[in-house]
Amino acid sequence: MDRFPLNRLRTGKVIVALSVLLLSACVQQAPPDLVQSVETLDRRLVAAHSAEFAPDEYGRFVQHWAALKERLRSDDDVVGWPWEDNPFETDLQALHDEGSRVLALASDTQNAERRGAVAHVARLERRLRRFTSRVDQIGSRVTLGEKRVETELLVKQARSFMEQGQFVHSKRAARQADEQMTSQAAQLNSELGRYADKAQVDHWRTMVRRAADWSKQHHAAALVVIKATKRLTLYRNGQAVASYPVRLGFNGVQEKRYEDDGATPEGTYQVIRMRDRGQTQFYRAFLLDYPNADDMRRFQSARKTGMIPARARIGGNIEIHGEANRQLSQTLGCVMLGNHQMDALFREVEVGTPVTIVGAVDVDNTVAVVLAQLDQGDDDADADGADLDDTQTPVDETDIEQS
Amino acid sequence: MKRTVTMLLMPALLLVIGCGQAPTDKLGEAEKAVMDAKLAGAQAYAAEDFAKLEGMLNNAKKEMDDQKAKFILFRDYGKTEQLLASVKAETPKLLEETAKKKEEAKAAALKAQQAATEAVKKAQALVSKAPVGKDQAVVKAIKNDARALTASLKDVQAAIDAEDYLTAQAKAKAVQDKSLALSSEVRGALAKSAKKKK
Repeated sequence: MDRFPLNRLRTGKVIVALSVLLLSACVQQAPPDLVQSVETLDRRLVAAHSAEFAPDEYGRFVQHWAALKERLRSDDDVVGWPWEDNPFETDLQALHDEGSRVLALASDTQNAERRGAVAHVARLERRLRRFTSRVDQIGSRVTLGEKRVETELLVKQARSFMEQGQFVHSKRAARQADEQMTSQAAQLNSELGRYADKAQVDHWRTMVRRAADWSKQHHAAALVVIKATKRLTLYRNGQAVASYPVRLGFNGVQEKRYEDDGATPEGTYQVIRMRDRGQTQFYRAFLLDYPNADDMRRFQSARKTGMIPARARIGGNIEIHGEANRQLSQTLGCVMLGNHQMDALFREVEVGTPVTIVGAVDVDNTVAVVLAQLDQGDDDADADGADLDDTQTPVDETDIEQS
Repeated sequence: MKRTVTMLLMPALLLVIGCGQAPTDKLGEAEKAVMDAKLAGAQAYAAEDFAKLEGMLNNAKKEMDDQKAKFILFRDYGKTEQLLASVKAETPKLLEETAKKKEEAKAAALKAQQAATEAVKKAQALVSKAPVGKDQAVVKAIKNDARALTASLKDVQAAIDAEDYLTAQAKAKAVQDKSLALSSEVRGALAKSAKKKK
């Protein structure tokens, strides 16, 4: 007979309960769907260039993911009670949440960078267009030589990088292009700054007044060429009686320094020979006495100071001429008019007629204005509502205002 | 008696110290592996994978620091070593991936370079036909542009030589675009000139 059946029963129950409990304890494993979900998220993070757009956050995620993977590999026999959370599940969920935040951040940053780069490149392209247009306006494309194309290539690179999502490269190319334009603006300001120099403009104005006075005193014709406006004015008895559009040398607004530099000389000259049809390839022409004593002095001084090439020559054969035989003619520094205008001038001009060539007669001349605009930043230009064509003076190619 | 105790304790102490030694040489090797990947261009051509490798290395360093912070008898660098070994093991895969992506970028850069060179040649051929007329400025400017484009091809080659294929490709594309624009400008000038001759 069992003396303690009740106790035995209790003991049995306890044993059974413990066994059930022990059996219910299980080996906890990482839920495969959650692992897969984190892996998918990781691939999306890679695709979103998270290393570039959220480097610190992505770095931390990568560290956490690597550590967790290591645990998944080594701690695959974690035993837990049913009421306990699966540590893998908790950590994977936390990692997934972290990855999602990184992905959102990377996407936001990438979008912001893209928007910034798009705006930057668009602004740069606008600046280049304005710059190019203004440089053309003052006929200084040649002056800048190869630099212009170099800048254009940088702008194109900035766009190309931007389109590929290489925003850092895009910004770098854009910055270089900006710097180049600023440097070119400085170069043009240095070479053409006299157009904005009040004292120089006053001097030119005096030269023009003297030409008009001479015409009045001698009851004769005098010609004045103003390079900034690209116009030739005929004075008779001290009065401006006709004004014609002209074309200058290919570096016309520059100060002439030596032969073949394409600049049109500035100074007071005289017509020393009249070349009629058959005597010139340019329809009709007035040969000027360039180089005069002032030109010679300037040339010698420039050569001594090394401002011009040692082999440079001063040149000559500067004319005011027509435009016949367009294919053969070359403007290396001459003043060219339409043939009708040359006919009109031929009736007024004679050997000895003074020809005054100056840069500008007002401080707000086109060259000075354009130079100031070259210095103006893009934002300033936008604020002013400046457009590409707003400062362009229409070139009257056909005819002239006559008084 | 003292001698016996010392003889018994010494190996145990050496064992403990030995286990508590930081694997600095292995860390050095892993760091070198990451640096090799960086030098191979992994940061540029496989940025995310490179970030992962760096992350693993940082993990190992952190683990090592954690162990170092413990009392010497409780230090265990087993996990650190495991992580460092993973860095080393992952590096060849990354190098391979980098090399593959670099080759792809190189091929694209060379293709773009070829296209740019052909476009420049065509532009130059057209420039030599440019009318030497009144528009000296235009002709001179066009010639300047053609010279600049030819010079830019050297920049493309320089970028290729420096294995900066992304830059080379962007430069080449820019040169090609500009050459096409220049050709079009010269064609326009030639057409204008032909019209005037008639």
